[in-house]
Formats: sequence, structure tokens, C-alpha cells
Amino acid sequence: MKAKKEAMAGSLESSDVLVTIRPREGEGVECTIESIVLKQYGRRIRSVTEEVAAAAGLSGAAVRVQDRGALECTLRARLETAIERSTAGT
Amino acid sequence: MSSPALDAREERWARRLSLAGSLPAGGSLLTLTLRLPAALRLGGDFDGAARALFEALEAEARTSGSPVLSSEFKISADGPEGWLALGTGARAAKTLALGVEEDHPWGTLADIDATDARGQPLGREDLGLPPRTCLVCGGPAAVCAAGAAHGLPELRAAAETVLARPACTPGRIGRLALQALLEEAAVDPKPGLVTPRSRGSHADMDYFTFLAGAAALAPWFAEAADLGAGLAGFASTEDPGAQDLLDRLRAAGRRAEAAMFEATGGVNTHKGLVFSLGALCAAAGCLAARGFVPTAESCCDTAGALVRAAATADFTAASAKPEAELTAGERLYRSSGVLGVRGEAARGFPSALRIGLPRLRSGLAAGLSRNDALAEVLLALCAEVEDTCVLARGGPEGLEYLRAEAARALGLGGLSTSAGRAAVRNLDEGLIARHLSPGGCADLLAVTDFLERLG
Repeated sequence: MKAKKEAMAGSLESSDVLVTIRPREGEGVECTIESIVLKQYGRRIRSVTEEVAAAAGLSGAAVRVQDRGALECTLRARLETAIERSTAGT
Repeated sequence: MSSPALDAREERWARRLSLAGSLPAGGSLLTLTLRLPAALRLGGDFDGAARALFEALEAEARTSGSPVLSSEFKISADGPEGWLALGTGARAAKTLALGVEEDHPWGTLADIDATDARGQPLGREDLGLPPRTCLVCGGPAAVCAAGAAHGLPELRAAAETVLARPACTPGRIGRLALQALLEEAAVDPKPGLVTPRSRGSHADMDYFTFLAGAAALAPWFAEAADLGAGLAGFASTEDPGAQDLLDRLRAAGRRAEAAMFEATGGVNTHKGLVFSLGALCAAAGCLAARGFVPTAESCCDTAGALVRAAATADFTAASAKPEAELTAGERLYRSSGVLGVRGEAARGFPSALRIGLPRLRSGLAAGLSRNDALAEVLLALCAEVEDTCVLARGGPEGLEYLRAEAARALGLGGLSTSAGRAAVRNLDEGLIARHLSPGGCADLLAVTDFLERLG
């Protein structure tokens, strides 16, 4: 599923994460990870992001994750919602 | 998978941005939520605490003079949340929020976010502050939260411990002040001063005179805290109602002084402390009545503000008094400009905060007994402070002797080494021979003890 429009999910509150998806040229998915716990959980946040994007079949998208210390289940939920919103109608 | 709680947080975020955007330029928005996992936030058990925290935040905004543009508290699908739109900037608003998070008895449970009128959040890091610590382990909170480091029972127990913290009543404040008087008198050795084993440089008083003076003052400190609590309702000490309370505080202080002189047979044991500890008790009572846990720092800050006007008035009056009626401090102020106890109080007790308190805390942390830790605090104060009692009697040479010898005793290891203890004994004998007694530093020792017990 190609990203059709810019979409967001989540918030910048403590223990939450704001996911922003923008359409981009080509088939690839480019992930940018920002986190207040990057040192501790940066790799896991990236692998969860890539895994959820792949499972949804996302393509042609720039995914920006601004993490404020969210739990993994919150991150997954926010990613799924953002992908849904960005690809709606395709 | 989305959930009602996640949806509610997203809605709150959208509302935060839209509300912030509708603020007048220079305004700001504070949002208060609970710093607890959803399972505890949503149970309703902590709704009352959240409401109390929000009310404390709003009261704090109003007393600080920030215009409150709108205020709302509600229970959403994500738990309790409070909204406060202010006419002041985000930096000032965040400072108010930090006051509640740091100083309110339940403040550690609150998460108060500030947003400026352009929708930009302003966090602790923007004010150069370290991130918040975890309720359970004291580590960085975000790391524990992201990793779900602690289980629900552990978090619930930590939150309930916070809610069970004792309220800081005028009665408790008064007891701590009286305890400080008694402990200061009991500390031994205290060069030149009265201890249970020595009259120091004093022919007219002993330890029992100090106990009599302290007993006479027992009701005064709680009374000062109570009158201070009354001040909490006024935004400014200029307010006629606040002025009336300050007058009553001064009158009560004069009565306390008279009771002390009656109990000691006319000997001045605690006149300085009636003033300085009285001011601190009033400040602690005021802070507690505004919903805060008075800390050493906030208490000194508030006490300084309370006495500043009064101290200026006192010294102006002193310059008009005939020489014979002046106190030692007033005479010194007139001749040399040295401020003494009133100056120290008016400046927010810098000597107690910067010299006494760190020394007492590090001494106790290093395993010293309270007696020895307090005895070393006295030496540290003597080494650095201009003691007006010593300066008045012994002149600059007397003061220099005290400072040099106190510093030497500390340098030799203080109470922990035999060389240090010998230096303290020498100083005691030297002060007695010179008829000198560092009463100003002794008062600061009691103030330090009070501040340490207060927290």
C-alpha cells in the first residue's frame, strides 16, 4: 500500500509517540527515529517501526517517529493508525 | 490496534495545539495529567489527588499574579486531566508547574506540560533541568516508562506512599522549631557557648536557662506558622489584610520575647531565634497553606520576602534611637553597616542555606552522629560568617581569631580526629578567656537544624 497523503497519529505527551507519514518518490520506506530514550531503546524502536511498516505492506513513504518514552504496544498502535490514515482510499 | 485511552490522548494533543493557537500572544497553556500507567490512571483511585494537584496549580497561578484565562478539570477516557490557560508566557507558566511538581506533597504524581501560544511545548530541558526521576527507583522516568520496568503493584504502592505523606501543619512546624532550639542547646562541644557541660563564656546562664527559654517559646512557633498560613490568601504583603497579619505576627513575637525573659529571669537566650525561626515558621505555614511541602529553599525564600520590609523599617528606626537603647546588632549596623540576624533573614538565610545545610547533610550522610554533625556545622559557620555577637564584643581581632581557629579545627578533621577535637577545646578556652561567644552562629545552627528537619 502506497502512502497517499500526509498523516499523523499519537502525541508528544510523555510516554506517547507522534508518528508522521509522508508520501515519497519510489517504493522504499524511509524511517527517521527521534527518541528521548534513543540510547536505551533506539534499535528496538527502529526494528518495530520497520516490522509494522512491512507487515502493513507500506511503500513510498517517509515515516518520522518522535518518541517520548512510549511503551512498545503504544508505538505499534500509533504506527498502525498513522499507516491506515496515510493509505486510506488506496 | 487503537484503544479509547490512546484515542483520548490523541484528542487531548489536538485540543492542546488548537487551544494554544487560540491564546493571545504571550499566553501559555498548562495541561496536567497523572504520571501513572493507564491501569492506575483509569481506576478512579487517583482522581481526587489529580483534582487537588490541579487546584494547587491554579491557586499558585493566581497568587503569582498570572491572569487565568480559562480553567477546566475533567475525567477523560485516558484518566483525569486539567487545563489551565494563562496570560503569562510559557517559561513563567512552566516555572509555576515545576513548583507544583517539586514542592506539592503529591507533586511527583503530576505531569504538567507547558505549551506556548505558537503550539511549541516547553519542557524541563528548555529550562536546563534534568529529566524527571522514576517514582519507584529514582532512575530516569522515561527509561523506566518505555521499558515498563516496574510492575503495577510496585507502582501502585509507590503512588500510595506519596499520597500518605503527612501534611505540614502549623503544629508540626512549631514542633520542629522547638526541637531545633533544644538540639542547638544540647550540642556539645560549642566553643564559647552554653552546652549541657559548660557555661562557655557566659556567667549569667547555663543549659537550664536555655531549656527555660525554649519551654517559654513552645507556643510561639506554631502561632507564627498559623499566622503565616493566613498570609497564603494574599497575593502581596502590601495588601491591608496581609499588613494586619504581619502586625499581629510582630506583636506575637514581642509577647514571646517577654515570656522568654520572664522564664529566664531576664537573660536573653533566644531573642535572635524568636525573630529568625519565627519568620521561617511563618513562611513554612504560608507555603503549606498554599498546598506546598515547604522545603529549606522555598521556606528561606518566602521568609526573606516576609521580613525584608520589616527589617528595613527596623534599621531605619534604629538610626533614630538613642545609643543606649540600641541592641548589639543595631549598634554594629550603625557603626559598620554589618547586618547580623535581620540582614541574614532579609536575604533569605544565605549562610544557613549555603554553609550550614550542605555541611549538616554531608556530615549526617558520612555517618556522623547528629551531635557531631551539628558541632561541625557550628565550626563551619564560625569560620565563614561575620558573627555580630563576637564582632560587637571582640572587635575585628576577636572575629578574626574565631574565624581562623574554627577553620583550623575543621582543617584538622573537625570532630572526627583527636587533633580537630583538641583545636576545638583550645578555641573554647580562647573564647572564654576573651569573653567571646558566637551567639549569631549558634542561632544559624538552630536555623540549619530546623531547615534540615523540614526537608
